[in-house]
Amino acid sequence: MRRGLLVVASILLPMTCVADESARGEFFEQKIRPVLVTQCYRCHGPDKRSSGLRVDSRPLLLEGGEHGPAIVLNNAAESPLLRAIKGSDANLSKMPPDKSLEASVIADFETWIRDGACWPDTPATRNAFAAQRHWAYVPIQDIAPETIDQPWSLHSVDRFIEAKWRRHRLTPAPQADARTLIRRLSVDLIGLFPTPEDVVQFERDYRSDASTQDVVFARAVDRLLDSPRYGERWGRHWMDVVHYADTAGDNADYPIPEVNHYRDYIIDAFNRDKPFDQFIREQIAGDLIPDPKSVETTAERIKATGFLALSRRYATAPYELWHLTLEDTIDTVGKAFLGLTMKCARCHDHKFDPITTNDYYALYGIFDSTQFPWAGGEEFQSKKTPRMHFVPLVSKDQAAGVLESHQLHAKGLADKIADLEKSLPGLPDADQTRSKADIEALKRQHMVIHRRGYPIDVEAAYAVRDGNPHDVAVQIAGDPGKPGDVVPRGAIAFLSSVPLSIPAESSGRRELADWIASPDNPLTARVIVNRLWQHHFGRGIVATPSNFGVSGSLPSHPELLDYLASQLIKSGWSLKAIHRLILTSRTWRLSSAVDETMSAIDTGNESLWRQNRRRLDAETIRDAALDVSGRLELERPGPHPFPSIDQWNWTQHYQFQPRYDSNHRSVYLMTQRLVRHPFLSLFDGPDTNVTTDVRTSSTVPTQALYLLNSPEMAGLADAFSARLSQKNDDDRERIASAFELCFSRRATDDDVKRGIEYLDRVQARLTTTPDSRRLAWQSYCRTLLVSNAFFYVD
Amino acid sequence: MQRREFLTRASAGLSSAVLCQQLAMTARANGAELLPAARTHHDPRAKQLIFVFLTGGFSHVDTFDPKPRLLADHGKTIAGESLRDVAQVPLLASPFRFSHCGQSGMEISELFPYLGQHADKLCLFRTMHTDILEHFQAALAMHTGSATVPMPSIGAWLSYGLGTLNPNLPPYVVLCEHLPYAGAQVWDCSFLPPEHQGMRLMPGESPIPNLKAPAETASIADLEQRLLADFNDLHARDRAGDPHLRGRISSFHTARGMMQVAPEVLDVSNETHDTLAAYGIGDSDRKSFGWQCLMARRFIEQGVRTVELIDTGAGDNWDAHGDMQAHRPKAARVDRALAALLSDLERRGLMDETLVAICTEFGRTPWDKGPGRNHWHRAFTCILAGAGIKGGNIVGQTDEYGILPVADPVHVHDYHATMLHLLGIDHTRLTYRYAGRDFRLTDVHGNVVLKALC
Repeated sequence: MRRGLLVVASILLPMTCVADESARGEFFEQKIRPVLVTQCYRCHGPDKRSSGLRVDSRPLLLEGGEHGPAIVLNNAAESPLLRAIKGSDANLSKMPPDKSLEASVIADFETWIRDGACWPDTPATRNAFAAQRHWAYVPIQDIAPETIDQPWSLHSVDRFIEAKWRRHRLTPAPQADARTLIRRLSVDLIGLFPTPEDVVQFERDYRSDASTQDVVFARAVDRLLDSPRYGERWGRHWMDVVHYADTAGDNADYPIPEVNHYRDYIIDAFNRDKPFDQFIREQIAGDLIPDPKSVETTAERIKATGFLALSRRYATAPYELWHLTLEDTIDTVGKAFLGLTMKCARCHDHKFDPITTNDYYALYGIFDSTQFPWAGGEEFQSKKTPRMHFVPLVSKDQAAGVLESHQLHAKGLADKIADLEKSLPGLPDADQTRSKADIEALKRQHMVIHRRGYPIDVEAAYAVRDGNPHDVAVQIAGDPGKPGDVVPRGAIAFLSSVPLSIPAESSGRRELADWIASPDNPLTARVIVNRLWQHHFGRGIVATPSNFGVSGSLPSHPELLDYLASQLIKSGWSLKAIHRLILTSRTWRLSSAVDETMSAIDTGNESLWRQNRRRLDAETIRDAALDVSGRLELERPGPHPFPSIDQWNWTQHYQFQPRYDSNHRSVYLMTQRLVRHPFLSLFDGPDTNVTTDVRTSSTVPTQALYLLNSPEMAGLADAFSARLSQKNDDDRERIASAFELCFSRRATDDDVKRGIEYLDRVQARLTTTPDSRRLAWQSYCRTLLVSNAFFYVD
Repeated sequence: MQRREFLTRASAGLSSAVLCQQLAMTARANGAELLPAARTHHDPRAKQLIFVFLTGGFSHVDTFDPKPRLLADHGKTIAGESLRDVAQVPLLASPFRFSHCGQSGMEISELFPYLGQHADKLCLFRTMHTDILEHFQAALAMHTGSATVPMPSIGAWLSYGLGTLNPNLPPYVVLCEHLPYAGAQVWDCSFLPPEHQGMRLMPGESPIPNLKAPAETASIADLEQRLLADFNDLHARDRAGDPHLRGRISSFHTARGMMQVAPEVLDVSNETHDTLAAYGIGDSDRKSFGWQCLMARRFIEQGVRTVELIDTGAGDNWDAHGDMQAHRPKAARVDRALAALLSDLERRGLMDETLVAICTEFGRTPWDKGPGRNHWHRAFTCILAGAGIKGGNIVGQTDEYGILPVADPVHVHDYHATMLHLLGIDHTRLTYRYAGRDFRLTDVHGNVVLKALC
């Protein structure tokens, strides 16, 4: 995290004698390579080969140039390289030409050549060097916006944006009108269209006086940020990143009724503006930071670790292929918080970033020291294994007690069953029948208690706890059967100024969480403000929001990103503060209209000379359609209607795949891992098997078929037209109302006229149908719901 | 079409020079009839493509690239600097017998007895190689030319470059029951305009859901269509320059067309008993690979530019790490059906205008402890057949063990360049400007494999 911290536990090297190979390698990385790169590469590197010499690899040095080999191994004095930097050879120009290297540096070169010119060349060492200069790995700079003559706007965000426009000679689009703005704002913040009343109110206030526009707009931002709908909208964005699902992903995809605790935790955290650093700590280590003063807070923090518990399960038996589950954990932690792709390092050092296999298994050790729950699964070796390691939401002292009583209860039932079965043969026939029925009932009772995995009268979470703390061995080439060296639990070395100090009796999650959630971590704050920006503009400042590494995209506005990250930290990690900062900019309020001249300069709108027009995402399409149809139920639904636990008999050949319809917001839909929700997947909903940073936005005829022909859309259209007719008797007013609800715009006279003509024409066509006017309205409403004006936000 | 309208439709981002080029490539008609057949760079040999993708990586040395030396040296370890783990691992002979097929005498293993009967139609590329030996990346590369960042699929490029022959069907149809590695990205249009995206059809009871209009309002579908067009045109009037709005409008036109045409294409009741039997399609079968192959022929007849068939998904496929015998059921599932498809195309004269590609992700290591094999990307076999292809022909030669090419290596880019060439496209000139540079299917690589052509 600091520049030049390549070698973490820095060893003091004796200047005169470099002992072993790895120490020699470190010596090279610390003392030699930086000099070669900064002083020599420009003329003796890949771009230029002065005097025929390149110094960017050991073989090239040995091959040499016009003056023969540049180094003579183990003989520094005879090596032209040394003679050149010393300036001691009349036949050689003194190097570097413009200055002299310090004596200590020259001495280092002498040592290095004498000891064999060790040049470790692994991807990790190459990458470590590259990474020193990679923008995302250097500390966040608290940058002030550029000073601009006669700025377009005084807002800090705008000044960063304007600086880039000026460099590219771009002129910004005009500001969007009030109706466009309130619709855009509403969809952005709460994922629903504004109500017609909100639109009218905002339009009146925003227009009335130009000088108060900013105040009026800021008030609208605050109102929507305070809405409980905000957490549902933005919690859903986070659920993409954590790949939330209500099932485990094992071969039969067992349901997890308790996981909705974590979903609700996310939504509440966004609504309450939980400081993001705290949000990180709780999701990684909430169980380790109980609040002694509050049982509720303690329980909430346990639920937060659902983040880890959600890691995808594989295969059939409990904890089978566990290294793959932990791979998912590490992948998700890396991408979600740090924007780092860690997966490659499972088998080999990362090809692009300085992430080593040791880093991967240092993290692996932390999660392998963590007790994950098991959500149940297919019968294994003819036995139904009970669910296990759910975390009861009671105090630690109580927990032991309830678990014991649970076991006693289960055992009591088992004993009773055994007793009854034993006494069966001696009973008369009639009693036998009754007794058998009793046994069956007891068995079902026992099955429920046994399989549930925790006491029936206690609430428990799909969450994690510390398990058996231990370090793990590197798995050579990612093969758990081939252990290599054991590595201590820890964080990613090249980003750590000092190794984490993890107590032997702890998993290390607490320390890892603190390390990630630190203002000194160069990635964390940048990654989350970029995600906020992404959902306000349709694209992040970094277009690869979960990959800030060397293979990711470069930031379009690096200074702005750092500014936002600094502001986040200064605000006490308040996401709502950053929303306000972004949304109140004039840049966010630009029209999305395309100007051909500007478009020719910046087609992709990287410089944000206009706002991006965006298609609604899957959840918003569904929620908005339910909402305008008057069907949307806004309260938080109860648990999913999963079957009772004694009926859980799914296998890999007979997977769990029900569908539960509801009129609640889409964030509450039951989503699975092995089967995607039909509606959400049709409109590019997230893949629940991996962390998703950017959703695609496809346009395919199957979507059109659904919208035109599905019974679901016909039902919504019916409900919509019924709602309109309840509101108004007059077709004209109904049409006007429909336009306000669907498009947040006034219907023109022409719109109304055409609408009436349409209804009449359809009715005329359907003369033989008794409710032809209703069908005409259904058709009209469906067409509104599927039109481009409904689907896009300007 | 007005030039201005073209500008707005031809997607954001074409510089005027590139634009002219694209104008020649993809002149489009107005309104609903998107993408009529366009002018090609040279006379095409083929008009349409059937792209068969066998998921998981089938083993070249067990199918189309016989290596008797593997049998002779079975168990022997060999060394080689570039072969990282070879030194420790023994060579593994194929458990399958090979025999000479057709007049050309091309050797094909017992896994493909039916396809073997069509040897004289096939051109084997025995020296295929790709860049990354992971499923996800290799599957992406075989479709998009890019192993890392998702790019437009070959089917999307063909739609973009050549347009459609039937505006009532999508230009690129993918029959795929289970998602392959890299999922829907393999048929995605990426930065190309959305109408070029592949459309997935799910083999099964309802390959295209919601294909029928609701009974209550079916009789007014035409009126509703006009109303929607009015709404959308009005909306687009003030929003010039957005290809997504246009793309979405097109998707409705295509959907309406599909409602007319697709039920007929999907209905196989007019096929003869013999035809169904040849594909191995049983009663009410709408799921087998044979059914997929028959659909390929039927969609080709309807003018779909690219029909892709994916045999298995990311689970339970050709990825035979455990035992090469696992290739048997996979091969049995596709062999007869593919053979039937080739016969059927030939019988109907479609073979003269259709190119058939049979490919996979990568090959498998000729060495392993056995009885399975690992991934191997530096030599494997893919096939082309049909229009413009010299049949009974083998391109390239691998070494005695099938580890590396020794003559005429064919990179995935070369394979793509050859397909594009046969379809009348110079792969270096079919470009799309995006994010500041011109992109193409073959990146900056690719050579047409002339030895494959007749």
